[in-house]
Amino acid sequence: MTVFKGYMKIVKANIGLILMYLVIFLGITMMIQAVTKDTGGGSYSAESVQIGIVDEDGGVLAEGVKDYLGQFHDVTLMENDKEKLQESLFYRNLEYIVKIPGGFEEKCLEDGEKLEVTKVPGSYTSFYVDQQITSFLNSVKTYYAAGYSASDAVDSALDRQDASIKMMDINGNAGEIPGYTYYYRYIPYLLLCVLCYVLGNILSAFRKGDIPKRMQASAVSSRRQNLEALLAAGILGGALWAVCIAGGFLLYGKELLKSSSIPYYLINSLALLFVVLALAYLVGMLTSNTNALNGIVNTISLGMCFLSGVFVPLDILNKEVKTVAQFLPIYWYEKVNDTLSQFGNITGSVRAEVLQSIGIQLVFAAAIVCVAMALSKKKRIAA
Amino acid sequence: MIKIENLVKRYGKLLALDHLNLEIEEGEIYGLLGPNGSGKTTAISCMLALLKYDKGTISIFGEEMSPDNYGIKQQIGIVLQNVAVFDELTVYENIDYFCGLYVKNSQERKKLVAEAIEFVGLEEYIKMRPKKLSGGLLRRLNIACGIAHKPRLIIMDEPTVAVDPQSRNRILEGIQELNRQGSTIIYTSHYMEEVEQICTKIAIMDHGRSIAVGTKEELKSMIKTGETVTIEAVVLGTDQIKDIRLLPHVFDVKYDEQVLTVRCTGAKHNLIRILNYLQENEISFGRVFSELPTLNDVFLEITGKELRD
Repeated sequence: MTVFKGYMKIVKANIGLILMYLVIFLGITMMIQAVTKDTGGGSYSAESVQIGIVDEDGGVLAEGVKDYLGQFHDVTLMENDKEKLQESLFYRNLEYIVKIPGGFEEKCLEDGEKLEVTKVPGSYTSFYVDQQITSFLNSVKTYYAAGYSASDAVDSALDRQDASIKMMDINGNAGEIPGYTYYYRYIPYLLLCVLCYVLGNILSAFRKGDIPKRMQASAVSSRRQNLEALLAAGILGGALWAVCIAGGFLLYGKELLKSSSIPYYLINSLALLFVVLALAYLVGMLTSNTNALNGIVNTISLGMCFLSGVFVPLDILNKEVKTVAQFLPIYWYEKVNDTLSQFGNITGSVRAEVLQSIGIQLVFAAAIVCVAMALSKKKRIAA
Repeated sequence: MIKIENLVKRYGKLLALDHLNLEIEEGEIYGLLGPNGSGKTTAISCMLALLKYDKGTISIFGEEMSPDNYGIKQQIGIVLQNVAVFDELTVYENIDYFCGLYVKNSQERKKLVAEAIEFVGLEEYIKMRPKKLSGGLLRRLNIACGIAHKPRLIIMDEPTVAVDPQSRNRILEGIQELNRQGSTIIYTSHYMEEVEQICTKIAIMDHGRSIAVGTKEELKSMIKTGETVTIEAVVLGTDQIKDIRLLPHVFDVKYDEQVLTVRCTGAKHNLIRILNYLQENEISFGRVFSELPTLNDVFLEITGKELRD
């Protein structure tokens, strides 16, 4: 195991570099996933509008309109002073003014007359208030037409409960995407950057100057040298993977432990590790120049991550990009990640789909290792 | 011990080895001497099965050499032209690592590594990283990495390139000591002085072929030159150069920038005859040198060009 020990000694000599890359990219990953996760909520909260009401009717229906709007908005009773009202709108003290003219109750219930409203031009929230008023008046008119008195019709419309909607939790995740999904989405970037940089640097030590010739002329076969190198790379990759997984448990401990999908997340990330290890080995084969290595690693990691749904969710990517991405292993990792985020319970066809995508990643890993081995042999012969 | 027959290696259209034949006996320090590009390193790479060749056979220790013949590789140590050590490992770790590619037993290896360190005189530097070593010390480390497992055959490819004279002498003495300890050594160089100093047998290479083989005495006896006389700061006319060329035993005269170089056959009194001629003709002159033939003269006569052209 001389070659293996040699690799581990060089890993030990590079431990500062490894930790530096790990801290930098783990920090970037956590930062990106935290930012992305936070943008998901709060988009659909109802907004409260400043409404002024001029009541010249004073009837039951007018009171009902005031009470109804008061449930959702800040309602202020105003005098019918045109200048004051326009001033309030101009200075945005009010966004919406409802004028209830005298005799409105009768005209509305009998003839279907609408309320006179004034609103800030271009205010999208005004449409929301329009809908609420129309909905309330329609309800009152319906009750009235059904034989209710005006007072009962207004009370009934006010008491009306919103329809109870029960979500069918078909996927088992209550329609919510768990937070750790975002963390797992960014793991490919972390693994790709750290492993390609670190393994690239370590492999370059073995390809410097005449060291390959010395290794090749030695009594240890090339096959054994490659196997021991792969074992060392595997241990390094395994340690990094363990750090990534531990990071996930550190951030989402309880949530992750409760999840029934966690074995699939782990298997998927392990398959990804094999892919990244193979890629890192290939990148290490391509160059021994540190500057060139940086360029190659940046191109591969950023390119793959953008195309495969790491930085941009797969749903947003267009069809053509997705077609291209299917030829990249990270796409299949993200596909599994997306599926796991949508389904709380993994059964039947979903499980088959997940395992198929994991299998595709492993095939990619094997193919990349074969390319790296062939390249290594070609370089050896050409040397 | 090593037999190379009709070895041909092409790099595209370039013929690097042109039916090379070599035979190396056990216990020799065998020098491969030739200018850069003469095929020395290619020949060594083929011997070590680092390169595929187009034609010919290589047998080492009576067996055909191949990339998978680890039995032969086990008995070979290599010291390459470029220093091949890990910058990340210390002097001790480097020697231990490369020795470990041949010797599995850690106790035995420990002893061998200690001996190699003592042999190259790096005892004070064992905990240092290669980047902190001087060029000479680095070359010594490179040698220690190649010889620590006490190989039967050591192949050294220009191990003294870019080394100061003091370190070079130490390395050359070390090579002779390894030979005394029982190792057969193949030594390539384009420094003829080194080859003359340490090699028991020499093959002169040019254009991928071995153009002359023998001991240094045998090689020198192959050529006409017995003595080369060089006279500086001398002003001569065409007739006078012709006269010198007609002196007994003189076979080649060169006159360039007031430096006269006269090659003579092995007869005695060549220098006296030339100086007498200059004195008789009242021709003044500066410094005078007389040299016995060198391997450069051998190369010059056989190929018509200087070894370092």
